[in-house]
Amino acid sequence: MTCNFYRRLVLAASIVTTATGLLAPMSAQAQGAGDRIRKIVLITWPQGVNPQAHQASQFVAQAWRQLGLEVEVRPMPWSQHIQVVWNEREKWDTTMWRMVGRPERSDPDEVVFNNYHSSTAATGFNFVGYTNPEYDKIATDQRQTPEAEKRKSLVVQAQRLLDRDQPQMFLVHPSSIKAFNKDVWVEDSIVNQSGIGIRNFWTFVRATPKGAQKQMVLNSAEPVVAVSPMYIAGAASSWVTELVWDRLARVGPDGLPQPWAAERIDWVNSTTVDVTLRAGMNWHDGRPVTIDDVIYSFEAPAMGNKVPMYRSAVNDITKVERSGERRVRFTLKTPNSAFVTATLAKINLIPKHVWDPIMKDLMNKPENAESIPNPPPIGSGPFKMVRNRGQEEIVLDRFDGHFSAPKMDRWVLRIVPNPEATLGMFRRNEINFLADYGGAPEVLEKLSKDAPQLVLKSEVDIGFEYAAFNLRRPPFSDVNFRRALSMAVDRNMLVQAAWKGYAVVSNSHVSPALKYWHDADITKIRTGLPVAREILERAGYKVVGGRLNYPDGVKETLQPN
Amino acid sequence: MRFILTRLLHSLFVLWAVVTLMFLMFRLMPGDPMAAYISEALSEESKQSIRAQFGLDRSLPEQYLLYVYNLCRGELGTSFFIKEPVWDIVMAALPNTLTLTFIGLILAYSFGVVAGAYLAWKRGSLTEGIAIPIVLGTRAAPEFWVGMILLAIFAFNLGWFPSGGAASPGAMYDSEWQRLLSADFWHHLALPVLTLALYLQGLPLLLMRSTMLDALHEEYVTMARMKGLPTRRIVLNHAARNAMLPVATAFALSMGQLVGGNVVIETVFSWPGLGRILVQAVSSSDYPLAQGAFLLVSVALIAMNLLADLLYTLLDPRVSHERRH
Amino acid sequence: MSAGTEPSYGLTKKILRLTGRDPFALAGISIYVVFALTALLANVIAPHDPMEILFLPDGNVAMNQRPSPSYWLGTTSLGRDVFSQLVFGARSALMVGLSAALVVVVVGTLVGLFSGYFGGWVDNVLMRIGDIALSIPFLPFIIVLAAFVKPNVWNVVIGVSALLWPNTGRIVRSQVLSLRERSYVEAAKVSGASHLNILFTHIAPNVLPISFLYGSIVVGWAIFTEASISFLGFGPSDTVSWGFMLQDAFVSQALSRGAYYWFIPSGVCIMLMVSAGFFISRGYEELLFPKLRD
Repeated sequence: MTCNFYRRLVLAASIVTTATGLLAPMSAQAQGAGDRIRKIVLITWPQGVNPQAHQASQFVAQAWRQLGLEVEVRPMPWSQHIQVVWNEREKWDTTMWRMVGRPERSDPDEVVFNNYHSSTAATGFNFVGYTNPEYDKIATDQRQTPEAEKRKSLVVQAQRLLDRDQPQMFLVHPSSIKAFNKDVWVEDSIVNQSGIGIRNFWTFVRATPKGAQKQMVLNSAEPVVAVSPMYIAGAASSWVTELVWDRLARVGPDGLPQPWAAERIDWVNSTTVDVTLRAGMNWHDGRPVTIDDVIYSFEAPAMGNKVPMYRSAVNDITKVERSGERRVRFTLKTPNSAFVTATLAKINLIPKHVWDPIMKDLMNKPENAESIPNPPPIGSGPFKMVRNRGQEEIVLDRFDGHFSAPKMDRWVLRIVPNPEATLGMFRRNEINFLADYGGAPEVLEKLSKDAPQLVLKSEVDIGFEYAAFNLRRPPFSDVNFRRALSMAVDRNMLVQAAWKGYAVVSNSHVSPALKYWHDADITKIRTGLPVAREILERAGYKVVGGRLNYPDGVKETLQPN
Repeated sequence: MRFILTRLLHSLFVLWAVVTLMFLMFRLMPGDPMAAYISEALSEESKQSIRAQFGLDRSLPEQYLLYVYNLCRGELGTSFFIKEPVWDIVMAALPNTLTLTFIGLILAYSFGVVAGAYLAWKRGSLTEGIAIPIVLGTRAAPEFWVGMILLAIFAFNLGWFPSGGAASPGAMYDSEWQRLLSADFWHHLALPVLTLALYLQGLPLLLMRSTMLDALHEEYVTMARMKGLPTRRIVLNHAARNAMLPVATAFALSMGQLVGGNVVIETVFSWPGLGRILVQAVSSSDYPLAQGAFLLVSVALIAMNLLADLLYTLLDPRVSHERRH
Repeated sequence: MSAGTEPSYGLTKKILRLTGRDPFALAGISIYVVFALTALLANVIAPHDPMEILFLPDGNVAMNQRPSPSYWLGTTSLGRDVFSQLVFGARSALMVGLSAALVVVVVGTLVGLFSGYFGGWVDNVLMRIGDIALSIPFLPFIIVLAAFVKPNVWNVVIGVSALLWPNTGRIVRSQVLSLRERSYVEAAKVSGASHLNILFTHIAPNVLPISFLYGSIVVGWAIFTEASISFLGFGPSDTVSWGFMLQDAFVSQALSRGAYYWFIPSGVCIMLMVSAGFFISRGYEELLFPKLRD
């Protein structure tokens, strides 16, 4: 008879379970809520590569969970990370990301335009998919406004729009810490670039060896995925590219552009500028740099959509033509106040005899220039490529024929994935320039105290770290949802807990390092879980059974990734 | 001779089975089966050409045949992220792994054999009582943990050894041999090899000890003792020689297992070998590279197993005695 | 091969006698018992939730705290209590270890029984499969497995069991080979008992003790492997295990900070668990270690 008893028990249990199962969604509807929101995946950096951002992502996820979301924090190695975010734009929900402070970004134009203008949403930097005609207009206008004050107010408006729409969750502007060994390098020859720090082009060219060691050995935590003048594949890749290829202008240590490969830059009128090339420049293969090469350098990125990362920088150019023996004339569609910084200081000068066949070949194929990660490294820059093993080390030698040849003999970039090993190498003078340190600042500070020849320098970066939302995928298409998630996290807590004080709070893409353009009031936001919950409630989101649901009538259409 | 052939065939069979298993594993994973070779980032045309080369648009049996054919040609595909042929990448890493494994084993076995013999001699003493748990402890401690501690002491604090990699920055050599024989290489090899040897020495030590103990108790040894022959000669002439056989076999077997098992040591010390490549490839879903590294490691394992088999059979007096009759 | 010639109760008695006499066996079993209790009583013993980010009274995150009365082994760089992680890590370790050992024991015993008893093509096929399993590189296989299945603790269990059963299988097989000629087996056959009956009633009980002893080594081995996998970053990041603790410590620069309280204890625990397996096998050495080839 116990058989019967157990059978009945099982039957009862299954009825109850089914009933609960059926009732649960019904009760949600009864309360006026839509479907339960799917699990959200937050892609992040591996803990070893960017511990601060990794830790920040843990805090962010914890806050979102307290709003009723199920969140998975998914670390991804860099090469896969960039692949997913850049090439699979329909597939990810949220990701940690950072805009690195680069000299060309000393003018806010690049970030203001490239990152949020709708034209770059499909294949360019606007991978969050922000399409707002109001913003598009402001971004285009600021570019064409030469009057500083007017332009500034437009840039401030741009920041306010992003604050309202929260296409991504700005977290902090990090204070990057760099260091060098002053027994190896003359301390005064290390150049500090505003908003970037001491790891910059000028240091590499001007650093003077003190003693017998004439090579600079620096480190990167990420591998160098590509060394190409047509493709920016990450921070470390760009340091190498800057040294191998020249540009007509460069952003100086003060943050302002200055002529570089150009002897002089003369504005004829607001849409026409003449640039005179220096005499006697040669490519690393011995051939001379000609005006045809210069013209080609600005034509190539405009070919079809073969060079997505540089195309927007040359979009404004109607024509480039020879206008003298060593002179080129650029004619622009509309006035562009950031032209020198955003274009002349960005486009790499490439030899036509090397790239013409490559581009012609590409025009016949569906691929673009990013499919050639390591093209022949023939540039005219102060260093020439000796060995490119992107996963281990890059070796560059001084190019003696350069008009501003470096003081050092050799530049060696070592890929060291974890901070512990990096510090060990720095301590032992295997590395004499600490270019990329993502580890704990207090450990480095202690090291510097114990070994005073290791000098630390930190600087608030032009760049910023953030959690990006994919506006193509609901509920991230709803501005209220985004605002709630963004306001749920106290940025000050993140600065202390994740960045250990080596950062400043951010709510804008224009860093305080760009003093003139930064909106000082933009970070006055109210954050915290109560604020977030209020926003969600007012927008109709309901918490059912501990989990957050869509507003009434809205269905969950996507699968978690 | 026939025996050697049988063993060889057996190994080839096992190799075939492992290759097939890998084929199935990589094809049956969740998602697009073609993702094993085709990165999303490639253009349609590239994807088409890879599909044709690996027959990914054909039926499973046809794919399999093409897969095996490609393997025999050494065609392992192109790494998704490094964008170079997998064959080149794994071949460049192979010497580093082989050196680490081989030197580690030699160190471990040299020490283990001597120490094991010594401990067999000192049967029942206090030394043995303390030594055995310590030896077992070295075998039980995770290699990466020991490695981390050695790094902390010798590289970070004392600065005697580099903290990673196989070469100093900017070092360049004319040939692979020159690199492998350079002082810089060996300086970098020191800590990883020490960690590995520390972990490995337990096995030959205990093995040597136990076989020697057996040999020492055998009748003719007792007889020789009764006859008054010096014990040391007995030990060296007979006991030690007999013990060498299992030790030699274990050496060959370990060699095979370690080629893949060095993964943790290579990670802690950033040693650019096959293990580290496998880990990085799997982490970044670089399937062609992961397959290639895994395959090479399997081949090494099977080859070493075969060697161990042959070695044992050739050297074991009992077996060869049987064969002669 | 003289092991297991007596019926099962004789073997078990022998094991118990050895436990009493041999310090190694005793030490091994004690270690297992201590950790088993820790795992079972983890909720009681651990002062905090191991994954909870803790805060100091002043509102800051309690990161990198040195050992103190509030945090017995200090905290991690994300503000989690190290001691609590260690205690809950025992739970994860035992789960992995025992599951792997169970599978190896079950599979190895079954294979050995069928292989040894029936011989012929059954034996051939099973031994060939065993050869293949032994020819797959251990750690790389589990790493690749982790690539295809979402990181979770069962990867290690499946991987370890799939590659380690052949050793148990071989030993059991050789046992069975000698047992099958015994008189009581003959008697059972004559009285008309079916093959399966004989296998499971008469032979299996005699080989189980050996299987279980081999299983005890697998416990430690599985924990060791899980630690390696977690260290490499392929383990689940939402559950605490000793391997996870070591990886966390390494990546958070515990070495440079001198946070020995963080990375020494977990390593010691792993060492103890694996040693326990070895001690047990040493204690029963005469039962377990045949020559290299039978």
